[in-house]
Amino acid sequence: MSTLKHKGKGPQAMTANELQDGFSVWLDPSLNWTRIFADALRTEDEDLMEKMQDKADADEQNNIVVGTYFIDIEPDTGLPVRYREKFRVKGPSYDTADLLESQ
Amino acid sequence: MYRYDEFDAQLVAERTKQFRGQVERRLAGRLSEAEFRPLRLMNGLYLQLHAYMLRVAIPYGTLNSEQMRMLAHLAEKYDRGYGHITTRQNIQYNWPKLPDVPDMLDDLASVQMHAIQTSGNCIRNVTCDPYAGATAEEIEDPRPLAELLRQWSTLHPEFSFLPRKFKIAVTAAEKDRALIKAHDIGIQVVKNEAGEVGYKIIVGGGLGRTPIIGQTLREFLPKDELLPYLTAALRVYNRYGRRDNKYKARIKILVQETGIEAFTNQVEDEYEIIDVSDIAVSEAELERISSYFASPDFEDLKDDPSELTSAIADNRAFSLWAKNNVAAHKASGYSIVNISLKPLDLAPGDITAEQMRVVADLADKYSFGELRTTHQQNLVLPHVKQADLPALFAQLQAAKLASDNINLITDIICCPGMDFCALATARSIPISQAIAERFADPERQRTIGEMQIKISGCINACGHHHVGHIGILGLEKAGVEFYQVKLGGDSSEHAEIGKVTGPGFSESELIDGIENMVDLYLKQREEGERFLDTYRRIGIEPFKEVLYA
Ligand code: SF4
Repeated sequence: MSTLKHKGKGPQAMTANELQDGFSVWLDPSLNWTRIFADALRTEDEDLMEKMQDKADADEQNNIVVGTYFIDIEPDTGLPVRYREKFRVKGPSYDTADLLESQ
Repeated sequence: MYRYDEFDAQLVAERTKQFRGQVERRLAGRLSEAEFRPLRLMNGLYLQLHAYMLRVAIPYGTLNSEQMRMLAHLAEKYDRGYGHITTRQNIQYNWPKLPDVPDMLDDLASVQMHAIQTSGNCIRNVTCDPYAGATAEEIEDPRPLAELLRQWSTLHPEFSFLPRKFKIAVTAAEKDRALIKAHDIGIQVVKNEAGEVGYKIIVGGGLGRTPIIGQTLREFLPKDELLPYLTAALRVYNRYGRRDNKYKARIKILVQETGIEAFTNQVEDEYEIIDVSDIAVSEAELERISSYFASPDFEDLKDDPSELTSAIADNRAFSLWAKNNVAAHKASGYSIVNISLKPLDLAPGDITAEQMRVVADLADKYSFGELRTTHQQNLVLPHVKQADLPALFAQLQAAKLASDNINLITDIICCPGMDFCALATARSIPISQAIAERFADPERQRTIGEMQIKISGCINACGHHHVGHIGILGLEKAGVEFYQVKLGGDSSEHAEIGKVTGPGFSESELIDGIENMVDLYLKQREEGERFLDTYRRIGIEPFKEVLYA
């Protein structure tokens, strides 16, 4: 029986937040954490998911990331299913910091 | 202004040092996230949707110019150049990094500030009328009372693990600018028939998922009984509050389930057995605290000096700003100045580090170094000479801080919503910006008059949508944001919870619907009526008709 904690359907990605900087990250195909969702590993392969889970658990243990969990991915768009997760991918639609940086 | 005593300084220094150790241990892996999370929250550090967020307490919304400069320094050095004023008069930074937070807290401690009790199930930072100490409407300055509550509640051992968070607001004016009826406890400084000054205690108000207007617990409480009486009230809450269910754990639910009469009896019974001498504060101590809030040395001036009257006559922009953003002061020749943090291009309540410095300089130059934050997410310079208003206005204009929209339709209260908040169900900032754009014409805003739009990104209601003349709640279904509308809410002394109009809207439908309602109001209003007055007179149905047209 699978030991995977996720209860999702279809393709999955593994996400977390960096412990130090707090930024949202996703596991990439080499099982490193990336801040760029486009580089995230999205898979339905259960064996691969086991590896993702192990890596997430280990990195949480090693204080690299916090709050790891699988997210459902829309097969057609490759984007997260949940609205909230879409926002974690996109970042704020409005941030005063962006305005300051553009000045 | 209040200054820390030795006790405060030591306490904050120790707490910061302790947190530095906790962060170090977390980063080195000697504390797990489960162990660290409650510790960081106790120090105001949240993990939000995209990053950490540090919430810094601004006790009763009062700060001085030096503190404001430090807030600017924090924004620049550790964050991304700005801060966000919250609806509880605090400031939030959206992008701090964990290893920097102990340094941020050290910097804050150097100007007598901290982030303690901005989270957790304790008595949170006390909020207050932002005009305190400046308005003629008040019976006395309520800040010594707020300061007493701050000292009493800081790390209070008995009340550090309440069933749920506990918010107290105070005012000394009949006109309520502190939302006292929507707090766990609201305190109004009042006079009894004998002319003695005491407190009216309101209990069980709150917004969130179950909005309730507070009820009177005591019509008149003699001043020296305050702390023992509040202790009794909190003990009853601590004992009977619903710890079994997070959503029913606030005191408002306890009061509602118990009934105000029975609840009052419980508090009075508890009060009977309290050893008052143990808790009550001596007259001398009260005087000591009050002395920190002594009025500045106001000059003997006349109202309406020629500098003001001629600028009103010659400069239309100034005259409109002065009419809308400036309020009467208790000392003749002085005014209270509201600085709007609701320009078209910034999120409501956001202020850049550069603007913070400008405001700090202006406070030094024109307002005895004093500043206030407001729950409406604006700032106040409490003591400005009327003769200085034109010069002040010019400098505010140069810093893009001269929006003349206080209390108008674009002075929107808006929580961070899905753009930042981990609990959000929808965005709120883009909604406020779309409304601000639609009603950008200043002339139209003035024609509409006083209008309070309040937006929350989830049912926690940090954006106070329940008490907006128009309240907007952002929700999400199947990946699509939609917005529910409430009408007729009121955050004033006549506090009222708005009524839901019906099914929600998409963003574009919402903005059109709001415009339709505003147009209806303009057509239907009678002499002197605000939107809220017309709504009360003609009822919800005509507004619903045009909203769903
Ligand atoms: S109302 Fe909801 S979305 Fe807005 S700040 Fe509060 S918890 Fe976050």
